Amino acid sequence: MLYNVHFGIYVDVAMPVEDKSKPLLPFLSSPKLLPDESEAEFQSGLQSLLSELDNPSPLAVALISQLNECIWWIRRHTVDKELLLHEAMARLLSREGSNWMGSGNSKLSVALEHYLNGSAQTDQAALIGEALSDANLTLSDLRARAFKDAARHIKMVDDLIHRQHQTIRHLQRSIDSIDYKSRLIKRMDLELAALESKQSVKGVLQLDDEPS
Amino acid sequence: MTMNHRRNLTNRCNALKSTGPRSAAGKRASSQNSRKHGLNSTPDFESSREFRALVDLIAEEGFSAFACADIAAGLLNYRRVMDAYYDTYTSPEPVNEFMRDMNVKASIPIFRELLSPSGSEPQDVREMAAFFASMQRQERRKGGPVPRRSSDTHKLIRYQRNGIARLSRAIRQG
Repeated sequence: MLYNVHFGIYVDVAMPVEDKSKPLLPFLSSPKLLPDESEAEFQSGLQSLLSELDNPSPLAVALISQLNECIWWIRRHTVDKELLLHEAMARLLSREGSNWMGSGNSKLSVALEHYLNGSAQTDQAALIGEALSDANLTLSDLRARAFKDAARHIKMVDDLIHRQHQTIRHLQRSIDSIDYKSRLIKRMDLELAALESKQSVKGVLQLDDEPS
Repeated sequence: MTMNHRRNLTNRCNALKSTGPRSAAGKRASSQNSRKHGLNSTPDFESSREFRALVDLIAEEGFSAFACADIAAGLLNYRRVMDAYYDTYTSPEPVNEFMRDMNVKASIPIFRELLSPSGSEPQDVREMAAFFASMQRQERRKGGPVPRRSSDTHKLIRYQRNGIARLSRAIRQG
């Protein structure tokens, strides 16, 4: 029987437990990604998380996909932190230097990004050098001042990352709880089966002992 | 009449004089007041197809009927929050880069030049510079696209916290 469970997932409930992670993949393969993000990378992260569970139930798989999404949010926010710093650095340079019109800032921003990555072309490096000397700053001074400038927003991003960590902790506890529950049910089933078999053996023995 | 009471009355009288935002930036800011993420509304999960499908799926795992409904609603609610989180993150308010990055002091000669045909007074130039400076302050307070999306998504933290707590509680108590 096929179920469409939110975000266009199709889950085959009648399948054996071992195969349940596979039909859930379409559910996981429709994540909301940003244009520059790789879906293959998202899926491989998810697969590695799924591989750590023996027989994940559909609910466990759904929770793991949420957990994987949290990990992606942490990655996005970490990139944002660096971007915030770069943006503040470019703004400071633009403000301090002679590039007073809006067009100067975006050019400076791109040049700075390449310069910090170590992939700047000669003209970009020259632009940054000129802007730094114009502003009478070194790169580390600029970074420190930019950090101070962007501190409020960096703190916000830190809060967002912290929230994702807390969410992951909640999801882990929930997955543990599901796992424990299924183990408990299995154990109780086994104990019940053992008791029933004992009972039936006893019954047979009693029947045998009865005098004819 | 006590001092506090008089102060309160004065404040209220002054507040009555207020007629809302006057500057262009203030009006622009207040025009966004009605933008909502919709997370404060109470959704009706129970009647949705996804809810019933999830309940059937969770029931296979040995949860009681009540727990199944609770978990399914928790999961759908959490997804609703995360979808709103994604939408907020991907569509921040656009940045007016020109306004944000311009050097108002350095542009005073240009203002003077622009206003000179009308035989403007230095006061006009000062007012124009003050107007641009105030617009710029508004724009800078919001920051670029990254600070904007960070502060916008930051507002959804409490919804995410409540959403995951509800889901986690439903699963652990189920």
